[in-house]
Amino acid sequence: MLKIEDLHVEVEGKPILKGIDLEVAAGQVHAIMGPNGSGKSTLSYALAGRDGYEVTKGRVLYKGKDLLAMPPEMRAAEGLFLGFQYPVAIPGVSNIYFLKAALNAIRKYRGEEPLDAIDFMKLSKEKAALVQLPDELTKRSVNDGFSGGEKKRNEIFQMAMLEPSLAVLDETDSGLDIDALKVVAEGVNALRSPQRAMLVITHYQRLLDHIVPDVVHVLIDGRIVRTGDKDLAKQLEKEGYTEVRDAQQL
Amino acid sequence: MTDANRQKLLASLPTSFETGPAWLRALRGRAAAALREQGLPTKKTEEWRFTPVRSIIDAVFVREDGRVSTLVSSIPDGVRARSLRQVLQADPGLLEARLELGGAPTHFAALNTALFTDGLWIDVPAGTVVEAPIELRHAIAGFAETRVAYPRVLVTVGDGAELTFIETYAGSETRQLINAVVEVDLGRNAKMSHVRIHDNAGLQVGRVDVRQDAESSYRSTVVTLGGALLRFDVRCLLQGKGAECQLDGAYLVDGEDHVDHHTQVEHEAAHCRSRQTYRGIASGKGTAVFDGIVVVHRDAQKTEAHQENRNLLLSDAATVHTKPHLEIDADDVICSHGATVGSFDEDQLFYLRTRGIPEDLARAMLTYAFLESIVDRVGQEPMRERMREALLARIPRGDDIRGVT
Repeated sequence: MLKIEDLHVEVEGKPILKGIDLEVAAGQVHAIMGPNGSGKSTLSYALAGRDGYEVTKGRVLYKGKDLLAMPPEMRAAEGLFLGFQYPVAIPGVSNIYFLKAALNAIRKYRGEEPLDAIDFMKLSKEKAALVQLPDELTKRSVNDGFSGGEKKRNEIFQMAMLEPSLAVLDETDSGLDIDALKVVAEGVNALRSPQRAMLVITHYQRLLDHIVPDVVHVLIDGRIVRTGDKDLAKQLEKEGYTEVRDAQQL
Repeated sequence: MTDANRQKLLASLPTSFETGPAWLRALRGRAAAALREQGLPTKKTEEWRFTPVRSIIDAVFVREDGRVSTLVSSIPDGVRARSLRQVLQADPGLLEARLELGGAPTHFAALNTALFTDGLWIDVPAGTVVEAPIELRHAIAGFAETRVAYPRVLVTVGDGAELTFIETYAGSETRQLINAVVEVDLGRNAKMSHVRIHDNAGLQVGRVDVRQDAESSYRSTVVTLGGALLRFDVRCLLQGKGAECQLDGAYLVDGEDHVDHHTQVEHEAAHCRSRQTYRGIASGKGTAVFDGIVVVHRDAQKTEAHQENRNLLLSDAATVHTKPHLEIDADDVICSHGATVGSFDEDQLFYLRTRGIPEDLARAMLTYAFLESIVDRVGQEPMRERMREALLARIPRGDDIRGVT
């Protein structure tokens, strides 16, 4: 599904990612854990195609295609979804309209007919229920005046609507209390499938109690320093990033 | 060229006016005398600094079109709408001291006063609340020769009366000039909602003068869709205690459009509130100007006045001038003003694109959302819908984002 080879990324001339190698197969959930400033968000932005995240070396193959050559909207149309750490508010653009435009743009790219209004409403009701997103929020402006938890639920709602084949979830747990975290995690788990891969990026282990990963990577200073199974996350929680990094260096 | 035309235009003004009631002849005489003395504005005239008046003066408008203003709605019961020409012939006393509410006119408004031949007087008697809007359309029909029109509108809303008044300025000819003066007199507790849509490729200059008595409310929304040259001034004189005005505007310039909105709010009485919110988009080689002043007079304590102008500058060749300013002579007031000129929010653009929305569509959505927030404040849904359609028709890919808000 996703193959990252020796990826180097600079932001404003400063090297952030210094050679990432990562392979995620369909059906797998990989977690990327790391301390602040390790390059977690840079990785997610580089995968989604944000301006200012300059790839200086390496390549990314997504379903065998050169992901880095595509503009962000084409990556989305090809089935990549980025769940934002800080979802952006867009006053004046209604959430539901925005999603309909997004869904139909993706369908158009795939040569499919636009979804009609009735089918779309049916689908959106069903998916909103998945993350307990109130009807009223689907009609408001995108993320405008939403609480932290509502924004994150809205991200997962969008993911459910767009049905990506690869979801990159950037610190989906940040700013959530335990109840909201459970709702979001249940939403994510409901979307796990043999056809879909997920890259779950987080600082803390607690999210991984709810979204149990197949593989855990530790990202420190722009490099993956350890890879293991879900127990690695538990070890990190107990020993801290410094210990894990030093252990690696020995 | 321009100077010669300026002199020629001034020389063509009559020195004495022969028709109409004595008070009107005197009024026109004063306007003409003021024009001869002041001249027409030049680039050096401060409040016309950014307005390319040359294009108006050089056009040398040979023919005057007297009947450009047409009522396109019915007149609700209880409201009187009469032609100024007819009233001036049949019952001129009714209008004495009702024109020139805002004091002696200057520049193009003086030209209108000297030369207008007809117009409309809408009178809403005290206590009359009118739900259905009254709509007036100003348009010069397409002719080969350059033409000029001097629409003159007087709106009087009596104590406790309410009116919604819509004006559309339409035209596709760049060689036509509409030089309009609209005067509004609001009685105590009167309410007026005033919508103007400028969908005119030609030259437009004009002013709206509003005089407000105590506790009255004036809400103005202007939507300007480009134009070779538009210069419109809105002035509110808050003369009665507790009066309020809200001045909103949304404008788009593209190509070589020049759109120039000036506002002036005079807080003359205490406990009045004013709020101005203008938003614009400048692309192509267009120029957009916002120049707003709020004056808080010495006795206008407990004034609340806010001014905001935000612009999206979408091309290197486009220009935005913004100048909100305050003059405050009272001490117990709440005032604010602010202006921004920027581009699209990159975070918003990226967010939309990560969901599969193509860049041009994302830009259209953000452009429209930026302006629609002005439309959203208009009271009546059918009116909002018309304004939305007008904006969508002007925004690239607007057709593809209908329903976005």
